[in-house]
Formats: sequence, structure tokens, C-alpha cells
Amino acid sequence: MAQKHSTRGAWLIVLASLIAIVICVYDYYSPATGLIGTGGVILVAGAAVLMLLASLVMALMPNRANWIQTFLVVSILLDIIGSSVAGYFLESPVIMAAEALALVGWLMNVIGDAADRSVEIDDVED
Amino acid sequence: MSKINKKAFVLGALGLAAAAAAVTFLPMERATAQDPNNDPPQVWDAFGGNQQAQKYSTATQITPDNVRNLKKAWEMHTGDVSSGAHSTSWGATPLFVNDTVYVGTPMYNIFALEPDSGKVKWKYSASGNDKLENQGLKNRGVAYWAAASPAAGEACQKMVYIGNMQGELHGVDAETGKACAGFGKNGVVDVNAWLTTNAKWKIGLIQPPAVYKDTLILGWAGNDWVYKVENPGTVYGIDARTGALKWTFNILPPDMVNQTGTANVWAGISVDPESGLAFLPTSSPSPNYYGGDRLKEMPYATATVAVNAETGEVKWARQLVHHDIWDVDINSAPTMVDIKKDGQTIPALIQATKMGFLFVFNRLTGEPVYPIEERPYPASDIKGEVATKTQPYVPVPEPTIPDTTPPVSKLGDFLSFGECSRWKARIRDEGRYTPPSTRGSISWPATLGGVEWGGGALDPTTNTYVVNSNMVPQIYTLIPREEANKLYGNALRARGGYAAQQGSAYGFKLDNFLNMWGMPCWAPPYGTLSSYDMNTGKLNWKKPLGVVQKWGFYMPDSWGSITIGAPAITKGGLIFIGASMDSRVRAIDLKTGNVLWKQIVDSPAVAQPAIYTYKGKQYVVFAVGGNGILTPRLADQVVAFALPN
Repeated sequence: MAQKHSTRGAWLIVLASLIAIVICVYDYYSPATGLIGTGGVILVAGAAVLMLLASLVMALMPNRANWIQTFLVVSILLDIIGSSVAGYFLESPVIMAAEALALVGWLMNVIGDAADRSVEIDDVED
Repeated sequence: MSKINKKAFVLGALGLAAAAAAVTFLPMERATAQDPNNDPPQVWDAFGGNQQAQKYSTATQITPDNVRNLKKAWEMHTGDVSSGAHSTSWGATPLFVNDTVYVGTPMYNIFALEPDSGKVKWKYSASGNDKLENQGLKNRGVAYWAAASPAAGEACQKMVYIGNMQGELHGVDAETGKACAGFGKNGVVDVNAWLTTNAKWKIGLIQPPAVYKDTLILGWAGNDWVYKVENPGTVYGIDARTGALKWTFNILPPDMVNQTGTANVWAGISVDPESGLAFLPTSSPSPNYYGGDRLKEMPYATATVAVNAETGEVKWARQLVHHDIWDVDINSAPTMVDIKKDGQTIPALIQATKMGFLFVFNRLTGEPVYPIEERPYPASDIKGEVATKTQPYVPVPEPTIPDTTPPVSKLGDFLSFGECSRWKARIRDEGRYTPPSTRGSISWPATLGGVEWGGGALDPTTNTYVVNSNMVPQIYTLIPREEANKLYGNALRARGGYAAQQGSAYGFKLDNFLNMWGMPCWAPPYGTLSSYDMNTGKLNWKKPLGVVQKWGFYMPDSWGSITIGAPAITKGGLIFIGASMDSRVRAIDLKTGNVLWKQIVDSPAVAQPAIYTYKGKQYVVFAVGGNGILTPRLADQVVAFALPN
């Protein structure tokens, strides 16, 4: 059943995804990064595109089923963790910073959603 | 926790299906004042820095204290890079001499560059009439010669030489970049014309010649593994002005040339200017992995041979691998060193080898400075093959690699469901000099070394010798001829590492010891950098060098990297080296081996840099070209680093 969910932090994840995509494109084509033409960068870019789509859903569809919210929250977290590890082994501080930004957005969303639900429950009890 | 440990920790965490993310904050270090003194002028006029292959610069401006401030001073791109079927392999060291940087490219162009800006003074093309795609696109730079008594107003009193893979040696006026008409035929010597016996293929002139007075000493590269009988190895003494042949040194005994071939000198040659001796590192004879048809002793094969640089007459020779059936060519120019030992100064040379040994000889007599033992090694189980019972072993200085094959990588084995350990159990592995077999034998070290063709560098003020070394086992399998014909027909080479050794009883297959994911099946480190005190033979330090990079991901520093290329040392107390898979060049503290500075370049820099001081400023210049053996990342970059003004 559709329910209103928090959109807080979603735009931050969108921003982080876009930063990661831009950095990956730059890394992929610039010899100066040491990552030119590498599969690892494509992997992170792909993950960033998926995170962008998920965060756009989060931002633009506040009325979504609980299972979709759960799926988005879990998949974005896994995306952040995986991309952070990849960024670490790519020795790309910017990718890691973008993922840290996404994590902040994710926390804002999760905490915001929990707070909203708490308010709704309080309303019922009142 | 150190960065190395952090990375190892993360790997371990992944193995336990946990994930962690961490941010590395690089320490900000205090900038130090630049040393104001001006270094004396110094040239870098040969592949090895000088003809003694010491790779040493007297420059002192860049020091361990200020090297962190090193910045890119200039770069240029030659345009000579190609990937795919006709990929380039560029291991050139630029020369700095005649107030000019000269660099040869894998498309056989010479660029003369301004030393402080990289601007092109002139360009010469030696690609010849043949289409480039018909040639192997390989080059290790150029050679330089200057007349001792130059004729005023005449051209070609200073010349630059470049060879190509068609066997042509070009002589070019160092001032103008024009071909020297008096050198060979309109500036070109066709070296193939001198080699008529069993000429199976055109020889390749990858390595620039050595220069002694008015003589060029030239070896050549061949096409290994494909025939039993191939072009017999020769070294030529050539008149530097005219290109006329002065002498020929035949490496193979005359009665063996129809049984074998090669044993050529494809690596650098060094020269002792005082004694006039040239030192030739010779390669293994053909067929490289089956010696049943060439059992007779060939003392100059896989050896260091000292010849008179002006006559080619042999002064002494030392065979460093007997009856070579592993293709462990002697692959680098020996480095001259005057060893202080027992109150005496011994004129010596250091010959690093693919086997990871550092042979140290009196360069005038060939007598070992540090003892060489003949140690027993396993017998061959191949019909017709007779592996020699003993091989030379040098306990001091300590070999750059251990005697036994590294253990199977637990990570590589786990992630391939035991593929690595099952494979290892099937093959023959008795450490060094395990003979090739039909079931597959470990080659430890493999043809990649040990020490590769760059060799080491020497600080002659302290006799500190620094050398990079690989730790790479491969698997060699002999395939009986009938079976090889069934599998591969008449192909000389085929996918999967097959080479025909046509005419011999066995074909050959080389497998990289990698699991299904392309991960090494053996435990790291994969490459090291070692420092030795050559007066005592003691190891000062040994550290992993470089970083393995796969799909862009950097592995832990403690793993090191396979390296191709060599170090260069400065009087300022630094080692500069590229060589590693991660496309970085590094400055390393000569005393401690710690990396003090690193910079990403366009591909692995697979030769030592040139180091020089020009107009009061010290430059470190790398030719960055890459080599497909390391990574597919190739480039055409010449890049200079210097301290900011």
C-alpha cells in the first residue's frame, strides 16, 4: 500500500550520484588520473547511475509502497558501501567524498522517514 | 595504522563478506628550502646514463627534503603510439648531451628537444620505406657520438643513431637532424646485409649501440621460440663516422650454427673507457626450451663476454647459465664499479640476471669478486635432453629472489575454488632450474626475471647498488612434435602461449600462472627494489616496489608490482624509477628505500629516466611508453619534473 515517505536527503544523493558520474567520466578519459579506460571506473559509474535513478525515485515519488522504500534504502546503502570500497581501491578520494555525501543524504532520509512515522504514530495515540 | 595495513585490512574484510570504507588523509609535510647550489654540468649520454651503465647523476638540487615539491616542468607527446595488433613498446631513456634532449620512438623517429621546455628542435624519421605495420614497433632510445677532434664547419661531427626493426641503423647529424651522407648509404647501414647465415628473419635494432671512441658496438634482437635453427648471434663493431664494419664477434661456435641459433645480444652493452673493454650480455640459444640438439658446450651463450671494443677480440667470458633451457638470457648491461675490499680497489662489474643473481667480476680478468658456487640442480625427464648437473650460484650478494617458488596465493586459490593449488600439484616444481617437461614445469624465475633488461644503478661514491626485480613464476610445457602438429598445424605461434620451435622435437607452451579471474596464483610480493653495499656484498634494504593495478583497482603496497625498467640514482640521495604497473614514477630515499614522492604518468615508464642539470635547474625526464607485458596502457609522453622556481 502506498504511503507518504520522506524525501529528505534524496536530492543530496542525486547530487552525490551526479558528482560520482562526472568524476568517473573524467577519470575514464584523463591519463592524469591513472584510471584511464579502466573497468573499475565503469563499475563505479554504473553504480552511480543506478543510485541516481533510485534517488530520483526517492525524491520525486514520496507516495510509494513500503516495499519500494525498503528496496530503495537497502539498495542505495549497498551502492554507497560498494562504491566507497571501489573508490578506496581506485585511490580516488573524490569518489569516496561523493559517497560520503550520499551517505549523509541516506541517513537524512532514513532518520527523516523514521521521524515522520513516529509523528504519525504519536498523532494516532493523541 | 599504516596505509599498507589499512589496505590489507580492507581486503581481509571483503574476504569475510564485510565492507568498510575509509578515507585516507595524506600527511601534509613541511616544504623545505631549495638547495641553492648549482650542480656541475653533467651529460646523460647513453642508455645507462653513461657507457659504464651506472645510471648515476651528480645532481644535488633535488633532495629527500625537497622532493615532495617536485612538479611537472614540461611534457611533450611524440604521437608515436599504437595499440592493438601493432602495439608499440617504448622503453627509451632520453639522452641529455649537446645541450639537447634526444629521444628515439617506437616508430623510429628521433626527437631533439629543448632541455628546459621540451620544444622540438628537429625530428628525424627512420621508419624507412616499409610500412610501419610490417615492423615490430619497439625502441629503447638512441646513441650519441661526438668526434674527439671535430672538423670545423663540417656536418656530422656529432651524431645520433637509431635502429629500427628492419635492421637498419641510421646516423643523423646531432645539430640539424639531417641524415649523415657519409654514414653507410645516405645515412643508413643495413645490418641485415652482414648476417647471411640462416637468416630466418630480419633482425631488430631495438637497443641503441654502445659507443667507445669512434666505434659503435651493436647487438640485435631476434624472433625467439619459433625455429630450432635461427640467425646466429653476432655483435658488430662499426665505424661511428662511416658505418663501415670494423669487426664481427660470432657468439656461437662455427660447428653449431646449423644446430642452433641466436644467443644474440639484445640488451644494453656497457664499456669500460679505461680498459677499452666492451661487456656483452648474451642470450640463450635456440630452440629456447629444448636443448637436445645442442648439447655441445657453447661457452659464450647466456654469458657475460668481455671483448676489445675496437677489435672484437675476446678478453674473457663467463657463462652464467649452463645449457640454458629456460630462456633466461643475460639481459642487462653490466654496471662498472670500483669495489673497495680488503684495502684494495678492484675494477669490477655487476651483472644482474633474470635468475636474480648479482655476479660480480673483476672486469679486467673475469675473476669473481664474490665467490660463485656450482650447485646441483634437477635432471630433465625429457627424452634427448640433458640438463646440466650444476649451475652457477651466487650466495653473496644475496639473490634478489628466493631459491624456491613462492607459495600458492591463498586469496587467488580461495576465489578460484582451489584452481591454483590443483594446478600447482599437477606440474613439476623443484625451484630454480626445474627443467621444462611435458606435464608442465614451474619456471622460477620465469623469462620475465628476476632482474629485467634495465639492470641496476650504482652510486659510485658509496658503491650502493640498487636494482628492481620481479617474482614471477610461469609454467612451461613441452609438446611432442606430433602432438604439436595436430594441435597447431604449421603455426609458428598460436594463441595460448604456443611457440613452434620448428625443426626440434618439441613445441612449447607458456602459461601464466593465473587463476580463472586473472589473479596471480602465487603469493606476493610480485616485485621488489633492493639496495646493496657492493664493498661488502651486504643487502642494505629490500622493499616491495610499485603497486599492482587491475581494472583500475590498486592492490596493497606490500604486494609490489612486476616491473620493467630500471632505477637511476642521484648524488642528492634519491632513486628515481618508473617501471611499475600502476603508471607511476617515484622518488625513493636511497638510504631507507621509502617512497618520498610519486606521480601518475600516462603509462608505465619502462626505462630509467634521464637526469641532468640545465641552466642551474635539475630535471628528471621520463619517456613514458608502456609495454604490453605489464599493462595494455601505452603512451607517447616525454615528461620532465623539476622543483618550482
